[in-house]
Parts: sequence; structure tokens; C-alpha cells
Amino acid sequence: MKFDVVIIGGGLAGMVCGIRLAEAGKKCAIVSQGQSAIHFSSGSFDLLGRMPDGTEVSDPIAAMAELGKIAPEHPYAIMGEKFCAEHLQQAPEILRSAGISVSGDCRKNHFRITPMGKMKPTWLTIDGYLTTASSERLPFEKVCIINVEGFLDFYPEFIAEEFRKQGVVCNFGTINLPDLERIRRNPSEMRSVNIARVFDREENLEVLAAKIREMASGCEAVILPAIIGIGRDDAFDVLKSKVNTPLYLLPTLPPSIPGIKAQQALQHRFRSLGGEYFLGDTVLSAEWKDGRVKELFTANHGDIPFRADHFVLATGSFFSKGLVATPDRIVEPVFGADTVFTPDRAEWYTLRFFDRQNYQAFGVRTDRSLRVVKEGVPIENLYCAGAGLAGFHPVQEGCGAGVSLLSALFVADRILKGE
Amino acid sequence: MNAVYDVIIVGGGATGAGVARDCALRGIKVLLLERSDISTGATGRNHGLLHSGARYAVTDHESAVECIKENRILRKIAAHCVEETDGLFISLPEDGLEYQTVFVEACRKAGIRADVIDPQEAKRLEPAANPSLIGAVRVPDGAVDPFRLTASNILDAKAHGAEVRTYMEVTELIREQDRIVGVKAYDYHARTEETFYAQVVVNAGGIWGHGIAAKAGITVNMLPAKGALLIFGHRVNNLVLNRCRKPADADILVPGDTISLIGTTSSKVPFEEVDNMIVTPAEVDLLLREGEKLSPILAQTRILRAYAGVRPLVASDDDPSGRTVSRGIVLLDHAQRDGMQGFITITGGKLMTYRLMAEWTTDLICKKIGVKEVCRTAEIPLPGSAESKEEVEKKIRNRPITQRRSSISRHGAMAVEIDSENSLKNSLVCECEEVSVGEVEYAMEHLGVNNLIDLRRRTRVGMGTCQGELCACRAAGLMGKKDPVCARKAKADLASFLNERWKGMAPIAWGDTLRESEYTTWVYQGVCGLSDETTKIAVK
Repeated sequence: MKFDVVIIGGGLAGMVCGIRLAEAGKKCAIVSQGQSAIHFSSGSFDLLGRMPDGTEVSDPIAAMAELGKIAPEHPYAIMGEKFCAEHLQQAPEILRSAGISVSGDCRKNHFRITPMGKMKPTWLTIDGYLTTASSERLPFEKVCIINVEGFLDFYPEFIAEEFRKQGVVCNFGTINLPDLERIRRNPSEMRSVNIARVFDREENLEVLAAKIREMASGCEAVILPAIIGIGRDDAFDVLKSKVNTPLYLLPTLPPSIPGIKAQQALQHRFRSLGGEYFLGDTVLSAEWKDGRVKELFTANHGDIPFRADHFVLATGSFFSKGLVATPDRIVEPVFGADTVFTPDRAEWYTLRFFDRQNYQAFGVRTDRSLRVVKEGVPIENLYCAGAGLAGFHPVQEGCGAGVSLLSALFVADRILKGE
Repeated sequence: MNAVYDVIIVGGGATGAGVARDCALRGIKVLLLERSDISTGATGRNHGLLHSGARYAVTDHESAVECIKENRILRKIAAHCVEETDGLFISLPEDGLEYQTVFVEACRKAGIRADVIDPQEAKRLEPAANPSLIGAVRVPDGAVDPFRLTASNILDAKAHGAEVRTYMEVTELIREQDRIVGVKAYDYHARTEETFYAQVVVNAGGIWGHGIAAKAGITVNMLPAKGALLIFGHRVNNLVLNRCRKPADADILVPGDTISLIGTTSSKVPFEEVDNMIVTPAEVDLLLREGEKLSPILAQTRILRAYAGVRPLVASDDDPSGRTVSRGIVLLDHAQRDGMQGFITITGGKLMTYRLMAEWTTDLICKKIGVKEVCRTAEIPLPGSAESKEEVEKKIRNRPITQRRSSISRHGAMAVEIDSENSLKNSLVCECEEVSVGEVEYAMEHLGVNNLIDLRRRTRVGMGTCQGELCACRAAGLMGKKDPVCARKAKADLASFLNERWKGMAPIAWGDTLRESEYTTWVYQGVCGLSDETTKIAVK
């Protein structure tokens, strides 16, 4: 099979890179193992929430300029302030073109509300999810937090405990339905996806709306866990149209409905642009010629090679096995690329869970064009995008999604410019 | 007003819990004080091996005899805490077979059944054993769950009138002339100090007993000996595997519930470190290297956690250099030894002999306070062990099968008390270990659970392959349901649970363990936005 570009990894970076290239007329393939960090999405996309020293960021663009000076190996610094600033509009446009409607401003972070009621600075949030412009003020004074009875992955009491700090009065409500009773019969089935399927049914949505109307009386807003609209896109809008009180969603513990929906939407968009998406396949080996990647062989395609002019490594970090840790080193398993890490295992971590752990910034070694380096030499036609990159702390700095989105666009840009 | 007791026990490990039960059964008014949760010291940080005594047969005949006697008693009184697996002592080519002859002879002398079996038969019995073994001896080793065992002793002690207070640290022994008459203790929850009086104070503090004795101006010459262990992600072996040679590092592999454990190392540590045992990369490497010789499959098995305990070894009183160390039971009557009335130290020994240690201690207490009752702890089953698993299972047939089995294995006959009225209560909090909402609620209400780490000790929530990935959050959610204070505390508690969990994972954080940790970071710090701020406001 011959493509212009083959992308390995179907997470946020791989998919956005593929969409951008396909939009520009490139013939692309994505080879995806199937699971990526999008499945644990919070419903928001962070750009830069905190500086490496922990200082909260209000204006991400200004902070990125600062970051370039203090952390020159950060992917943002490598891509450069100018590139990032120029492409910060393109990322939400790509999401919107896929049908993921997001709001946010790259010059001013807003706050997403977590399943535990905490407020975290972020860049883009999917419409429908509760956000606030200031971490000191919520958009209501009396709210009703509703949960599905027996759903253990959402925490109304924890949320209320945080809200009360701002003087918000919190009521609680629980929902139960005969259809929910059916999934409850199996003790491990009360999870977000199964519940959402129940509410895909019109009659259940109707009952839910009626109960919300009842419980919301006297409240300015209603909060629901993100258990709406797995099989249909309009479920939340239908629900909102049946309730007079403003309705907001909050993310749950994984699996994340907004994450799964975003994954599906991006996949659909990529395919509709003519991209080929190989789900559940794994790249096993690469053939090289003259210092370039010539072709790839995968588990499902046996001796049929994937040939391309350019390849993009977007396999993610440890969780998705883009990086593999052995007791003494960090391995990039597809190409055997060079990796950035400290050799002494004792330096990989501290014993406090919430510390910045060094291992989180380990990753694939690249040059300043994000070309993958192997045995000290950059590979001309192999780029790296996304969580597999080195030099950043995606969670502590609140920059995981931003790095994935921008590095995907950066790599697409290089390929399109024929570098 | 200060309460008055016959006996105050300091320390809530297996020994302290055993003394509390023995005292309570003999009608003695007893108070047990523990500075943390029960079984947090060496009790919860060992192999969980139900020794047959075979390991000591060659080197320590007396310990071997005690072990096999207690082994038989525990099978009877603590059936729900014990797994009768049997064990193999295997000889590898490098060990030779000479030791086997000496070993079998010594076992028989100690009254321990030791059957020499054909190497082929041994491999058939235990496919995980190193296939190059040249000899094997089958002995009645088994597995014992120290958390369950201790919790059961506590439950029975309370049922017979004992008072048990956890998170109470003894700060002072109250002395009147040459007599200890009570203790002052700090309550970590109420943040107040309380005073208690008793005729006898028992020091059952394990390695911390050194410091407790010091409060009475008494020196007990203890040597903290650190032992590190690794827990593997699934049950590799069904029989306990030992090396048939002189006891050495990392030569016991014990199956327990859903996991297997290898240990231990042995190294002296300073007293300043006993509160914060950290497993080093060198210890991990040693355990793996030696463990693979017992069972080569360990090289490919995921490691869940590394942890270390501190044995309270006691140097003989007549050897000031501290070199002559006994692993036997040490019962010190400080009236005789130091002229200090009303104060007893019970230490040394091992988990296997906790009941015997308790019996000796309680006998001495009875002598001191003039109680005539005799010990019955060897005959009366512990709560949970009064009925067979089959009988219990009949009573709770309506529950989902895996949950039914796992709750019986954890709580024995007490599984009946777990609320399973409806599907809400049967819903799973922890999928790895099949822990239901009902079981978590039962543990919070009846088993003295104060936080998530306590809960893990009582129910195995968070002990499985995922090490508390999502179940910790769910359990915290249930604990936080009661009122606003609970919600705040539960969140802080979740943060300390994650710190505790990570401490055990960091030394082995590569491969799947590192993957799991990255995922945890995404979920808890990313999606949920938890941070260390929560730790700072911890109510402790």
C-alpha cells in the first residue's frame, strides 16, 4: 500500500495531524492500536495551565514566550513562540470541523470543573460542560447536583464541598430507572458508557427531563455527570430543550463519554477527507533505505507493506506503549529511536506521588524540526508528534492536549512545506 | 475523668491483638492502644507464611516445635485466615542434596511431617517450581492473612468487652515510684491527650517497643532488621516454595489470595529509619535474581509493589554487644528484670507464634493481678472461623458468585452480615478483588476503618493488579457520602492513599507498573485535579 504519509498512532496528535494533511490533499493512513489518552478526557483541552515551577498561568501565549527562555527543550520552545501563536486558531478549527464544538481563548485561560469539584485552568472546553471565567466565582448561587443512583464514578459530595467554599448552595438529586436496574444486575456494569446507552432512548430521556424539572425547582442550574449522548449527538440538546433551568455536564472517571465522542468525531472527519484508518493494527517493523524509513509491516497486514514518503510517530507515551520502560532504560519500540532519559532509575521518580516525576518528561529524541533521531542522526522522513515527545510535564503543566495539537500541526506543516 | 483498666496493651499488631483477645476471654478489663491502624507494623509487612516450622528445624529446634504446634491450632481457630496449600523445599543443582537429609531428619525430630518426593512429582504438583530441581520435600506450610487474623482477634476481643482505640499514640508511661500505673496517649483524631490507668501495662510495640520501654527508663536491646519483599501481580504458585538450604535471602515464595510474594532480604537499619522503610533498587534486584531461581516464571511476571517490614530482633540480656540474637519469643517481666512493677514487654517471636506469645503474656498478667482463668484461645474459633466455608456459602447463595467467594475468603462466616439486599449494595467498588459497596459499608461500620488505607487492610480494596486505580476513588466517594466533613476528609484521604500506593510502586516503576502510574497521574491529577494541597489539610 502506498501513501503520502503514514501516521502511527490514532490519538489526538495522530488524528489531528492526519486531518490537517488530508485537508491539504495528502493521501494518509493512520495505524492505531485502539486506545489512547482521549478515552480519559476531561472534556477540555489544556494549553498551558502552570509554569514548570507551579505558577498558575493566566495568559498562555505570554507564558509560552517565557517558557521558551526557561525550558528550551519544551516542545513549545522547540516549535517556537511564533509558530504556536500563529497556529492556535487552527487547532480549534480542526476540532470544530470534526463536529466537536469547543469554546475558549488562547490569551486567557478559563477554568474547567473536575469530577471532584476542583477548578483547573484550561484552553478549550467542549460546549455543554461547566466552566467558569474565574476560579473564585461560579456562575450560580444555588445548584442541584444530580447523579444516577449507584453510579460510583461521579462525586456530588466532593463537588459540593468545593462549591460551598464559594458560598454556593448545593442540593442533591438521584435518578433511577427500570432500564438502569437491568444493567445493575451485573455488579460491574454501572459505568458511564452503559448508563449513557440507557439515556440514548427517547422515553428514558423524557423521564430524565421530568425528574430534573422536579429536582431543579428553586435552583439556578443543574449539574449532571457526562453520561448523556454516547449513541446519538443530539441527546444533550434534546434534554436541555425539555428543561427550563440551565443544564451543565461534568466529566466522570474513565471511560469518558466526551473523550470517546471526540475520538469518534475525529476519526469520522479523517475518513470523510479520504484518510484510511486502520484500527486495531500494530506496527511490527520498519524497513530502511538510505537513512530513510521505506516501509512498515503491521500485525494485521503480514507481508503487505505500508509505504510512504513521510512517516509520523504519534504512538504516545508509556500508557499507550509508545514508550516502554525497562529497569535501566526507556525504549521506543517501533523504530528503536533514541530516547531522552536519566540512566539511574532512582532519579526517575520521587517517593511523593504529587511531585513532578522526571519519568513524565522522558520521550523520543528529536531535532528542532521534530524529526526523530536514531543513533544520533535525525531521520529525514520520520517525525514525532504528541505525548511521546520529551521535555514537558503534560499533567503538572496542564499542556498535554496543547502539545499534541500543536506538534501535530507543526509536523503536518513541515511535511507540507516539503522539508 | 480517667478510665481505669486491669491491663493496657500498647501496640495493635498480631501480638497486641492476641493479648487483648486472651485477656478479654479471661474476663480481664483491657484497653488496647495503637498509634496507627491495626497491623501496620511488622504484622502486615511479612510473607504471610503459615510456617510449618520446617524452615527453622535445622537451626532452631525450639522455634520449629512452636511453629508446628501453632500451625495446627491456627488451621482450627482461624480457618478463614488460613489457606492450606502445603509447601515444597526444593533443592537446586547448586544446593546439592546433602542438606535435604539433615533437613528431613530435623523436621521429623520437631514433629513436622516432611515427605521426600520425586522431582517429577514435585514439578507436577507445582509447575511454577524451577524445573531443574533435583530434590523436593513436602511439608505442611501454608498461607495466613495477617490483616484478617489481627482484625479477627480485635473483633473477638471487643465482643468480649475489650476496648480498642486506634490512632492513639502512647506518649508517656506514668510512673509512681517503682511501678508503672498507666499511660498518657495522644488522640490523632480529637487532637487531645488522654490518661489511662491500669494495674499492668503491656508493651507489645514490636520494634517500636524499644522506644516504649525507654519511656520507663528501661533498655530492651533490640536490633531493627529490615526485610524487603515483592508482591507479584498474579498467583504464580499454589504451594509455598522454599529453598532446601540454610535460610538465606529471598528464598521463600508464598501464594496468597490473588497474588504471590517473594522475600525477604535482611539488613540492619538504624532506629531513625523504622518509620519510613524504603525499598532500594539493589534490594529489588536481589529479590528478583534469587526469586527467579525458585520459580523462573517470575522473570516475566508483573510486580505490583515492593515493601519492607522491620523485625524486632532482641539481643540476649547477657550479651551487651548485641550479637547473640534470638528469633524466639521474648517475654520480659520488668518487675523481675528491672525492678519495675506493673510493666511487661512481649517481643521477638513471629506472626506464627502470636497466639502463644499472647498466652504467655496473659498467663503472666493473670499471675500479677490474681486471675485464675485459663487460656482458651487455642480452642475457641475466631469470629469468621466458626463455620465452614461451605456452610457460609449456603446462607448467601443469592449473591453473585465471584463476590460470594471473595467475601467469604475475606470475612469467613462474617460475610453473612454484608448487606446484599439489592443491586446497589452488590455493585462493585473494586473489580480486581471483587469488593462490593455492601462490603465497603460493612468494613466502615464494623471493622474500625478510618480511612482508605485501613479499608485496604480489611477488604483488599486497591490491592489488586490496578493497585487502587479507580476503586480508591469510588471508595473515597462512599466514605465521603456521610456529611461535608467526610467529603473533605475523604479527598485528603485519597491523596494520602495515592502517596502510600506510589511509595510501594516507585521502586519497581518500569514496564506495566510505570504505565499504570502514568494513567493514575492522568486520572487523579489531570481529570480529577487532585493535588498536594489536599494532603496539607489532611485531618491527622
